[in-house]
Amino acid sequence: MSSTMEKTIVREGDNKTLLMDQGNLPAKQLKQDFKMVTFSLGGKDYGIDIMKVKEIAKFNQFTYVPNTPPFVRGVYNLRGEIISIIDLRIFFHLPVEKRKDGVENGLILRLEDYIIGIIVDSIDKVVGIASEDVQPPHPIFGDINVKYISGVVEYNGTLYLILDVEKLFGKEQTAQKAPSLETLEVSLGAKPSVGVSPRESFPTGQTEKDFIRETLKTFKSFHVTPLNERWLDERFEQWRSERGKQGRDLQIKSAEEADDFLQTFYSPYSDAVWPEEIAESFLELIQELSGRVFSVWNPGCGKGYETYSVTALFLKKFPDAVVKVWAMDNDLLAISTAPNLLFQPETIPSYLLPYTVKGKQGVGITTQLKDRIFFEYHDILHVNVVPECDLIVARDLLSFLSPADQAKVLDEFYDKLKPKGILILGKNEEPIDGIKWVRIPNKHFSAFRKNIE
Amino acid sequence: MRVEYINPFVESAYSVLKEVLNCQVSRGELYLKSTCTPVLGVAALVGLAGDVEGRILFDMSKDTAIKVASVMNGEELKELDDLGKATITELANMITAQAVTKLHDLGFKFDLTPPAIFTGDNMEVTTAEVEALIVPMIIPYGKVEINVAIRERI
Repeated sequence: MSSTMEKTIVREGDNKTLLMDQGNLPAKQLKQDFKMVTFSLGGKDYGIDIMKVKEIAKFNQFTYVPNTPPFVRGVYNLRGEIISIIDLRIFFHLPVEKRKDGVENGLILRLEDYIIGIIVDSIDKVVGIASEDVQPPHPIFGDINVKYISGVVEYNGTLYLILDVEKLFGKEQTAQKAPSLETLEVSLGAKPSVGVSPRESFPTGQTEKDFIRETLKTFKSFHVTPLNERWLDERFEQWRSERGKQGRDLQIKSAEEADDFLQTFYSPYSDAVWPEEIAESFLELIQELSGRVFSVWNPGCGKGYETYSVTALFLKKFPDAVVKVWAMDNDLLAISTAPNLLFQPETIPSYLLPYTVKGKQGVGITTQLKDRIFFEYHDILHVNVVPECDLIVARDLLSFLSPADQAKVLDEFYDKLKPKGILILGKNEEPIDGIKWVRIPNKHFSAFRKNIE
Repeated sequence: MRVEYINPFVESAYSVLKEVLNCQVSRGELYLKSTCTPVLGVAALVGLAGDVEGRILFDMSKDTAIKVASVMNGEELKELDDLGKATITELANMITAQAVTKLHDLGFKFDLTPPAIFTGDNMEVTTAEVEALIVPMIIPYGKVEINVAIRERI
């Protein structure tokens, strides 16, 4: 039953509610100003605005294109026009059922800039709804990142999630530059790279470096402090030569360029399951720990890949121990997907395999492992309620806090860590108050222990 | 706060408000607040105990509270009298109870304390050592802020 019908029935039977907006009721019932094509993906129902749909199609015989992301199934000849085909199930990490006949259901979408094909499980029908019945998306939908969902609507007892295809496939905004500016940059940017020794260019280099510090703060709220200064110095030299070769100047002018600059900053696999090599390195690190009860704190856990890796490896190393993990993030979307995270079977490393289970939606984590983890929506600058920890994993977190907060949180880490506990920071981070910490040599991790004299 | 707790509160607040007020309800952006929270004017407080410890605060302006109580009682209330206060208390109870029932189905065991209601100007609530999740619900009569502060027992 649609929600409008439900409302009418309640209103007829209930006198007191008649005093509310009964006037516009009939108009609302008739109004169907939004039509969408509905389809299913991984057992759930979705809709796409019909204005974006060019046609409904069955695809067979794609031409595979090498070196594309896994969700690009290939290109397809649509009556002479070559279009790319995206498999939405792979795109959203949903299970894919192989079809015997090789014919896939799909839609051809007409976006602002181009035409694209998508593959779905099955096409349902076209439904008309009133756009005012569309509710804003709820942050906890699990399967699909909520930023790609423009709304939710109920129709005949089924809830449909409406996908925002422009956000999904729309072109990223690339800054258009006038050619005259380009040539200007070439002449400016070429200078430092051509045979000028670093010493001679030091004064200009310093101002440029200061400028980069400022822009990183503005665009990415990345704060340069002794925590990450060593990395910045190296990266700056690298950046200088990269940009010199491209004939561009050193300044960062947009968030994309800031991302580009930060590319080498991020620790490996902070947003993915750790591969075996990293796992080995981690096992080496934690072998010094002892005891029967372990507490682990993982602030800034994001979607939880890191948390699951850490927890599974702990259990591998200490099979009889009690392990409790506090994983927190202040990104509500990321953290709400964490408890029900799904994996592509081929990406699961051997240490995580015993803790995975195949469910209706795909491969997930067993409750045996999940019960050891508290995923919390939490801001680390508020009061942190965690017990004394054996291990704190906070990779690439502190650099995005203000200098004062960096110091405050590091102090808190120091207080919360047991005497023999281990602190893991990002690959390119080190504690500000160096004297309080001792680095533990390790191939893949920037790890520290308290300096107890 | 554990992510598993968020959804039940958001869902039950939405469905209870929609059901008892029979009006358009929309949810604002969720966010976290540190320990100290100013109160809008009328606050109903329900305590939680069990696997967790904490409390839930339903916060709205006096004007909103009077209008909500009027609709729920089916008569126009002029001021927030005993009936009005009892009505707001009941609303808080209904939302919390539904959320706790949902959580119980997920395997979390909570108990409720009887709701208490606070009215006055320039009030502030401080819960030491717990941060609060704010769920703003917008209804035609104003805004109801649901302030959930729960923490695990360590």
